[in-house]
Amino acid sequence: MKLDPRTKLYMILIVSAVVMMSATTPFLWAVRIIMTLIPIILLVIEKKYTSAFGFTFLYTAALVMTFCFLSESSSSFFKTFVTGYSGIVVQFMPCLITAWYVVRTTKIDEFMSAMQKMHVPDGIAISLAVVMRFFPTIKEEYSAISDAMKMRGIALGGGNAGKMIEYRMIPLLFSCVNIGDELSAAAITRGLGGKVKRTSVEELKLRVSDWLLITAFTAAAVVFVLFKYFL
Amino acid sequence: MSSETVTNNNKLKAKDFITVGIFTAIIFVVEFACGMLGYIHPFIVASYVIMIPLVGAIPMMLFYTKVQKFGMITIMSVLIAIIMFVTGMGFLGAPLIILAGVVADLIAKSGKYKSFKKTMFSYGVFCLWICANYFPVVITAEDYRKNLADGGYSAEYCNNLFLAINYKTIGILLVLCFVFGLIGAVIGKAVVKKHFEKAGIV
Repeated sequence: MKLDPRTKLYMILIVSAVVMMSATTPFLWAVRIIMTLIPIILLVIEKKYTSAFGFTFLYTAALVMTFCFLSESSSSFFKTFVTGYSGIVVQFMPCLITAWYVVRTTKIDEFMSAMQKMHVPDGIAISLAVVMRFFPTIKEEYSAISDAMKMRGIALGGGNAGKMIEYRMIPLLFSCVNIGDELSAAAITRGLGGKVKRTSVEELKLRVSDWLLITAFTAAAVVFVLFKYFL
Repeated sequence: MSSETVTNNNKLKAKDFITVGIFTAIIFVVEFACGMLGYIHPFIVASYVIMIPLVGAIPMMLFYTKVQKFGMITIMSVLIAIIMFVTGMGFLGAPLIILAGVVADLIAKSGKYKSFKKTMFSYGVFCLWICANYFPVVITAEDYRKNLADGGYSAEYCNNLFLAINYKTIGILLVLCFVFGLIGAVIGKAVVKKHFEKAGIV
């Protein structure tokens, strides 16, 4: 199934807005959980089974932890620690799953032409596309750097916080700057930043599935707000 | 490398946008890594104002060497505001983030993006965006507290968090942000000089 990037952005918008409002009743929790399930189902449809399973597992685990084992009276260090992390997972997981789905399934050219259709200024659109593309790159580079350091036996920089940061940050910056230069060369070759209006091979159109999802998410957001503030 | 290219027109090009994108991604990773530590103890949340300016200074000082036109720092702040919203931090802080970005950009511009003194102040102002993360805690304090309690945080965590961050301390936190931004700028500059200028990257 192919979705329009605009639908995906709308999904992110709604999910982040809903996550910001605290869910106080079981019904609100249900709405929120259903909203989280939609991107997971979409991930399954896109055949991204591993990430779909991973996210489901983590989210469920965090939910169970938060609801069953921990309460306001938990005070031991370990409990506070666990609560903190399940809290953050429950809070931010819906956003993370949606964002992950969007980043993984949107091609950069689709994203760019969607941005153009929404009349987002070029500067924001290009930079945002680069940010989106760059997180996986940073992760890759970072693990390569860690491997290289392990090989030389530098595990934690000798316990010195400054050294720890320096040993990781500097090589990472070096490779990022180089990749950035390559990236801009590639982008300019493809005519990014030219004076002529860019065209795209992909025709963006809102299909039935797009409208269905937009309606579903709007409905969920409306229900959430209504039940939280008015009923 | 880019310092030799004299730019006679002030319009930003695709290359500049890509540079902004890359450094925004790095800054966000730094912020995120520090942010994860905050769940250990609420006082660490308050110490973001010290950690992030110091650690973030290294990429930012490298970024400043690549900035030569007005708008790059502004775009960066807009992107940070967008990412903050997408990752569920809300939009309360967005005006402060963007304001800090524009002012930082103007200060750096007044030094023609060359003067280190101006860059230092510019970075100090830019660091104020970190305080935007506290806005939900300060402005919607009651709601936020309930939120945390529902989320399963211990009462102790909540108390400490509100002890460290409230409308009285936010001023101190802002000043700390600025001061450690200045200190970070000096350290970052030294690091950039030590590693990148020698290697010819800058």
